[in-house]
Amino acid sequence: MARYIIRRMLTMLLTMLIVSVLVFAIVEIAPGNVARNILGAYATPEQEASMANQLGLTRPVHLRYLSWLFGSDWQAAAVIGLPLRQTVTAQGLVANSIQWWAVDENGDLAQWRVEQGQLVKLVRQPDGATVRIPDERAWRTEADGQEVFWGVDTAGRAAKWVKGQGGTEYRYEYSGWIKSTDSPAEYIPISKGLFRGEAGLSLRYKAPVSEVIGRRIGNSFILAVLAILFSIPIAVSLGLIAGLNEGKLVDRVISVGGLVTAGSPDFATGILLIMVFALWLKVLPGATVLTTEDAIFRDPRLLVLPVLTASLVEIGYVLRITRASVVEVMNSAYVRTAILKGLSYRQVVVGHVLRNAMLAPITVIMLHINWFIGGLVVVESVFGYPGLGNFILNAALYKDVYAIEAGAMVLIVLAVGTQLVADIIYSLLNPRIRYA
Amino acid sequence: MNEAPILSVRNLAVSYKTRKGEVDAVRDVTFDIGPGENLGLVGESGCGKSTVAYAMVNFLGPNGFIKRGDVQFKGETLRGRSEAELRALRGGDISMVYQEPMAALNPSMRIRDQLAESLSTHRHLTRKDAYPESLEALKKVYMPDAEGVMTRFPHQLSGGQQQRVVIAMAMLNNPALLIMDEPTTALDVTVEAAVLDLIAELQRQFNTAALYISHNLGVVARVSRRVAVMYAGEIVELASTDAIFHHPMHPYTMGLMRCLPDVDAPKGTRTLDPIPGRVPAPDNLPPGCLFAPRCRFVIPACRETHPDLLPVVQGHPVRCLRAAEWGEGQPIGAGEAGNITEIRADRPDPGDATVLTVDSARVYYPVPLQTVGGLFGLEKRRYVRALDDVSFAVKRGRTLGIVGESGCGKSTLAKAIVGLEPLYAGQADFLGVDISQPLSKRGIDSIRELQMVFQDPNGVLNPSYTVGEQIAFALRRFRTVPPHQVRAEVERLLQAVKLDVSYFNRLPRQLSGGEKQRVGIARAISTSPTMVVCDEPVSALDVSVQAAVLNLLLAIQSTNNTTMILISHDLSSVRYFSDEVAVMYLGRIVEFGPSELIYSPPNHPYTTALLAAVPRPDPGASRSNIRLSGRVPSAINPPTGCRFNTRCPFKIGPICEEQEPPRRDFGDGHLIFCHIEADALDRYHQ
Amino acid sequence: MTTADSTTDRPRMPSRLELALAGLWAGLRELAELVWSSPTAVVGLAIVLAWVLVAIFAPFITAHSPLEQDYLTINKGPSTEHLLGTDHLGRDVWARVAYGARTILSLGPISVLVAFLLGLTLGLPAGYYRGRVDEIIMRVLDALMAFPTILLYMIIISALGASAFNVVIAIAVGGAPGIARLVRALTMDIRTREYVAAAKLRGDHDFSIMVREILPNCRGPLIVDLLLRIGYAAFYIGTLGFLGLGLPPPTPDWGGMVQEGYSRMLANVWPVLSATLAIVTLVIGLNLFADGVREESMRYQ
Repeated sequence: MARYIIRRMLTMLLTMLIVSVLVFAIVEIAPGNVARNILGAYATPEQEASMANQLGLTRPVHLRYLSWLFGSDWQAAAVIGLPLRQTVTAQGLVANSIQWWAVDENGDLAQWRVEQGQLVKLVRQPDGATVRIPDERAWRTEADGQEVFWGVDTAGRAAKWVKGQGGTEYRYEYSGWIKSTDSPAEYIPISKGLFRGEAGLSLRYKAPVSEVIGRRIGNSFILAVLAILFSIPIAVSLGLIAGLNEGKLVDRVISVGGLVTAGSPDFATGILLIMVFALWLKVLPGATVLTTEDAIFRDPRLLVLPVLTASLVEIGYVLRITRASVVEVMNSAYVRTAILKGLSYRQVVVGHVLRNAMLAPITVIMLHINWFIGGLVVVESVFGYPGLGNFILNAALYKDVYAIEAGAMVLIVLAVGTQLVADIIYSLLNPRIRYA
Repeated sequence: MNEAPILSVRNLAVSYKTRKGEVDAVRDVTFDIGPGENLGLVGESGCGKSTVAYAMVNFLGPNGFIKRGDVQFKGETLRGRSEAELRALRGGDISMVYQEPMAALNPSMRIRDQLAESLSTHRHLTRKDAYPESLEALKKVYMPDAEGVMTRFPHQLSGGQQQRVVIAMAMLNNPALLIMDEPTTALDVTVEAAVLDLIAELQRQFNTAALYISHNLGVVARVSRRVAVMYAGEIVELASTDAIFHHPMHPYTMGLMRCLPDVDAPKGTRTLDPIPGRVPAPDNLPPGCLFAPRCRFVIPACRETHPDLLPVVQGHPVRCLRAAEWGEGQPIGAGEAGNITEIRADRPDPGDATVLTVDSARVYYPVPLQTVGGLFGLEKRRYVRALDDVSFAVKRGRTLGIVGESGCGKSTLAKAIVGLEPLYAGQADFLGVDISQPLSKRGIDSIRELQMVFQDPNGVLNPSYTVGEQIAFALRRFRTVPPHQVRAEVERLLQAVKLDVSYFNRLPRQLSGGEKQRVGIARAISTSPTMVVCDEPVSALDVSVQAAVLNLLLAIQSTNNTTMILISHDLSSVRYFSDEVAVMYLGRIVEFGPSELIYSPPNHPYTTALLAAVPRPDPGASRSNIRLSGRVPSAINPPTGCRFNTRCPFKIGPICEEQEPPRRDFGDGHLIFCHIEADALDRYHQ
Repeated sequence: MTTADSTTDRPRMPSRLELALAGLWAGLRELAELVWSSPTAVVGLAIVLAWVLVAIFAPFITAHSPLEQDYLTINKGPSTEHLLGTDHLGRDVWARVAYGARTILSLGPISVLVAFLLGLTLGLPAGYYRGRVDEIIMRVLDALMAFPTILLYMIIISALGASAFNVVIAIAVGGAPGIARLVRALTMDIRTREYVAAAKLRGDHDFSIMVREILPNCRGPLIVDLLLRIGYAAFYIGTLGFLGLGLPPPTPDWGGMVQEGYSRMLANVWPVLSATLAIVTLVIGLNLFADGVREESMRYQ
């Protein structure tokens, strides 16, 4: 059993690895240019090129992929030749300002910049301020005679300056484009990577993705759990009733009802519910505009329609699976054996049908989790519910690449993780599964 | 019968509601079963046997119902009983044993719970009290390791053990009547023999009346005292087993007898006489006698008058207009031989022309590694040794029969020869060409000369193409005839397998099993191959059709001098068909030799057990009681030494486990692979 | 008997084209019989056909162009001039619904067909060869299937941009893994049939076996799956439109109409209600049809 679980987890890791390649490939390599996405359509080619260089987009694809997933600090440390360290301090309006430093021979934290062609080292003092020390001797001569220097710049990047060739750098600040010279020729943006909890900066929120996303995962989780708790018992009971009465009117009504709720797109169901309950009957609020973080706890009525919408689709689907499974088991030879043993209808259903008929739905429901999560995205969008799905949708609409990537990876980890749990539950319930 | 019958069925008619209206599956069925008596119910598939069985407990599904007649159990009618009353009978006084034991047991319930349920329902025993009784029941059916089995799930048991569990469950409440619906059909022949012994013993011991349903006359001859023969939903003959087998009076019964190969008759001494046509569908019955269209003794009156079941001889009712004409003697024309013997006379002498030589062939399948180490390729690969070190040769125009039970590797051998499975090691030579290569590397000529006839009639033909197209594919591929003659050639081939040319445009689903198999044969011989490998060609067919297909293959062999290999689990058809026979067990040949020598002592102990297990369609046949115990070991980890040592009834000692058995030559090419000395082997037979 | 004369008298072997047409015709008749014997399928088909007719005859049953804006009649309710009223730009809602049917009814089947082509090219060899080919294909497909479908669509469309072509690409890429899995499972089953062995025994090549022996016998389950998937495709095209990832405005697109109308629901409920009901009826009609066929074909076996 333990072996089986370990094996499943290993295949899950493999799947996740492939998924991450796919996400990265679709978002970053596909025709859309990340730099242009960030800058908008009105940047000049020079500005765009400079931006791409600063974001490290000119680096080889495999290095960028590794940086995104596992960070680039170790790559940067290798070219600089000094260990790196991250500091997190309060600075101005930003609560957690992340800075990168190289640790020099004396154990001091240092950054560099070039001022009028002169290399200057900024050494961090215990109080957070820096002291400027000219560092002209640090230039190294390359094979082609150029004098270059790899160091950490003040914006959290490993940078390569070339002596006498100050590059032009365009930066987009709140106030507009800022052009500066004496800039590096090559950049490696330093980060710890997705797996180490740093998913990059959200371009839309101008804050680390990991900070923005946390609260939203919680909100989505509440919605998902409520919808599942509401829908599964109803769906399974209805499916059982329909399956035990195969071909009768009850069955017809339940089956077609299930088809209608499962078949209707979530957004349509949601909007029809809003029209009925919010617009005409005026008994429930139609949108979940969160004025405060805990609004859904203060006014649980906000949750009713989103949960109902997410549930309806799920109920339809699960009841149909349950029904099909019950019908199959009812026609099996072992149920015939049970009846011809002289068991009563109730004994046959409880003792022989239920357990075997529940096996198929469990796997299907769990495999269905992807569909369910997809539905949540739509439901969140319909009701303006501040969850993970809505976050990813907005990220997609605003081309907030790091937010999309991080959000997608979180969702997929959740989906695959649920499937793993489902597998384990199923294997516990079904004695026929053998682990060797 | 002196005592009052336990079960009495009178003019029973069972009908099913379908979209086309009511269809009578069973009509006018009448019989009695006395206390402790075993009545056999035989007939081909589609004759309504199972419907009769389920009508006894009024379990006919949502569409079925008893239309006319009555079923009386212990003198009281079962018709119109309430569900509660029926429940009390089911599993209590009347219990059933089913064909597929695996499907009949709940897959997610332990055996002890499935047994206990029966006791708690009928005798209100608690779980605790039920346990010893259930265990006792398992011991009564000679279940090895009964305690262990109690806690297992059905999938952890072998087929024979599962059927023992089902029988134990049926016997739990000491039923007055046991209904058995083909209880041994899904089992291997040695397991079947053991289960039949068990049924006979239990019946003797507990004086249980039984209705035993089977398509296999040999099985019925073994367990039943009286036999009812069903045809197209009616009983056509009902008599003592002895009378049915020695003096059959209905042409259908006679036909069934004449199309059975006899394990005791060598090749060429007896001809099989198939019944033409097939059982009519219940919604499309012919007028007059239902058997008239297939009957060789038909007279014009048969096609108009539907005969009644009348006792021509005391206690031997027959449903035939002409029964009185032949009384208990042989009917007119019974001795007419088929045309097989004539063809057989001019068989060319095989000489020494060897067509196929197989030398130390092995087929191993890698076992998919399910372990963590396996994922990274750290562990040693394990193999299923489906075929291990097999050598033999076949001469031109002769037939080699290969027999063995499921899992012995005989089908793997067939596939390896034609190239559908790659050889893991060893050599194979066909007409001087090396064929140890898989098909993709073989030349088109050796492919053409070596063809195959398959087992499953439903899988033989591609459902998407007409019969004619499928035969034509091969003709075009091998350019056997010029393109404009393809159609003519296909029609010639159809006639060669005794099918009308109108079959050209039919789709496979419009054909019966036997007809599909004929098309499969036509396809195989379309290239005039030197050799045809037949893998269980008749095992999925009804007996009356089996004979026709076997005869067809024999006719083809004698006209074209085709060399054949016949793979089968049925020792009788192998004997009817083969010149040489190889007996296989767990991937090895254990005995090889000319047919006559295989079917008489001395034999390998496994062959002896197989021959003892074959059900013979003769109630008086002398029976050996040699039975095999245990289950076939896994081919992943076969036993060391002699592979048969774990089940051998004559095992002589540690040598059997330690050393490979020697090859003992008994002359005339008769080889036995066994540690037991030659004269000792002979002795074991007495 | 085998002289030239008698062979010319015989009907000749039918050509490949004739065979293919006959097969197609037989398949369609089979399907028609199936549909006819299932009330569910008949109801579903009726709903779908109604929308198909609306789509085909859209120019003849609408008085306005779907793009024609009229700033004097904005957000009006139903009238004889505008059957379903007008939207926030004064466009005729009925015209937009009718032309929107064209969008969804053409994009849906096209994207499903593309998905099937992808699925078949991956699933057939995976199921037929097994081994390493299968392992690699299935790993990638498993990874694709780990994506919640909507998420996959969102990132594909956000990367490629919103257009009809990209919607087809997204839905095809999202659907292909499921189809490939189905085809693979069917192939793994059918390749063990004896007629496949018979084809090997006449030296047929793998490609010919896959296409001629295996593929035609997958058609039953594949047709049912195809019908179900057209329903899903309509479902997702609507959803993408609603999320703002569908066709760029001003193309008449039901999902897009719902999105535009949703925020202006308090002013005029007709545009959003019409488009929502349109999409719900179409998707349910497609589902009823597919489900009826599925159930009937299961009974058939």
